[in-house]
Amino acid sequence: MAGATVKLTTGLTGMGVARHPASTLKGLYGKILRSLAKMPDDAAYRKYTEEVIRDRAAVVEKHGANWKNIEQEINCGQIEELIIQAENELNLARKMVLWKPWEPLVTKPEPDQWKWPPPK
Amino acid sequence: MASNILRKLSGTFKNVGLAGSRRVNAAPTVLSRHLSSETQTEPESRPTVRKPDLVARAHVTDFGRYVAECLPKFIQKVQLTGTDELELLVAPEGIVPVISFLKDHHNAQFTNLSDIGGVDVPSRMYRFEVVYNLLSVRYNTRIRVKTYTDELTPLDSVNDVHKAANWYEREIWDMFGVFFADHPDLRRILTDYGFEGHPFRKDFPLSGFVELRYDDTKKRVVVEPLELAQEFRRFELNSPWEQFPNFRDTTVIEEAAPAAEKK
Amino acid sequence: MATGKAASVVTRQVRPILSLSHNEARMRALALYKAWYRQIPHTVNENDFPKSVKQCRQKLREEFMKHKDVKDVRVIDMLIIKGQMELQETATKWKQSMHIMAYWKDTVNKKPTDFYSKFLEGKD
Repeated sequence: MAGATVKLTTGLTGMGVARHPASTLKGLYGKILRSLAKMPDDAAYRKYTEEVIRDRAAVVEKHGANWKNIEQEINCGQIEELIIQAENELNLARKMVLWKPWEPLVTKPEPDQWKWPPPK
Repeated sequence: MASNILRKLSGTFKNVGLAGSRRVNAAPTVLSRHLSSETQTEPESRPTVRKPDLVARAHVTDFGRYVAECLPKFIQKVQLTGTDELELLVAPEGIVPVISFLKDHHNAQFTNLSDIGGVDVPSRMYRFEVVYNLLSVRYNTRIRVKTYTDELTPLDSVNDVHKAANWYEREIWDMFGVFFADHPDLRRILTDYGFEGHPFRKDFPLSGFVELRYDDTKKRVVVEPLELAQEFRRFELNSPWEQFPNFRDTTVIEEAAPAAEKK
Repeated sequence: MATGKAASVVTRQVRPILSLSHNEARMRALALYKAWYRQIPHTVNENDFPKSVKQCRQKLREEFMKHKDVKDVRVIDMLIIKGQMELQETATKWKQSMHIMAYWKDTVNKKPTDFYSKFLEGKD
């Protein structure tokens, strides 16, 4: 049983086995939540991302170092992929703070811009 | 293996759909009503007509609403094409945020930029549409992001988000003359050195402006203005017998989420 | 755009390509001219084509003077960008001598202008 808990390979080229995946994930999720906290409360992006991150953080918290159960319950790839996803989200969240996508539409399109077939 | 993928799919779709379906209950929009009325009508039985996949369609619609709600600043319109492909119509300022959101967000993960294309519609004020085709390997979904520009308005390069954009944007620059700001290496990719004009523009003649030939006295290839031996023939393609009268003015596109009206 | 329809017709807020003012665009154009001017001796030296440095510089001047009446800053910027790309193509020798010689159009016959030559050409 002890052998089963050690991951030997991810089976994917270029993706090594993570050393301490659970704690890495916890750290990343904490960082994401902290950068999300800088956004206004009613921002949809913040709301939905927090939901996803909280769900995943809870799963990671529940299973601790048992990566198999984490992978099975989150069901979104191997734990190394989860780390990549979290890194991406963190990257995005930090940029989103600057982009402020919750504001109203920045430019209205010209009236015939998206008409198809186009006017002659 | 196959069952594994299927299980993953159902799980992930549930993920994306979850957020969407809750919102539908809260505020039924035009499209959800349309969908429900469609389910009441008779199912399509003609063998040559594509049968709508209502489940996939609902997922795609939900996802469209989800994106529109997350990025109301940049998304002008969300629409479904006749074959249930999701299209996001984006303000030119927001192309990088939208593509990054689609790539990096947990519920999207459109990590593959399949292609960038262009459309030239000279009658519009912003005549070029630039079309980004994205693929989410995780969720097995495709999405199309469209934005617009004109000959002199630079568009932000998405090269920092997707490295694949490098050559695609060079291609758009070469074929349409759309300038991409912050592109690391914007130069011609398909046309010959010294070629003038952008061939995919509607005002570029079918025959081109110049022709090349080997000149035996000069011992090199020379470029000369094109001279046609015969006047260019006009082909009248509008037949008096219309082949598809049913499809004359119909648009197969419908709006999935009224992003502009929100808030 | 938000200032109202009447105002938006007169002045439209546009995104600059490179230069913010006409002066800046002029500086860029001069810089590009100088870069070409300095590149020409190397190009003549490294490529096999029957033109002297002097002829090349005259051609350079001609090519720039073609656009001397362009006033729109964004159009100037776009021309500068294209000129820069061509300079790169020339300097890195992606262009062969044939491409460089294409600037001279020395095999192109002049279009007949007066009646007599038009008559001889058989065109009107």
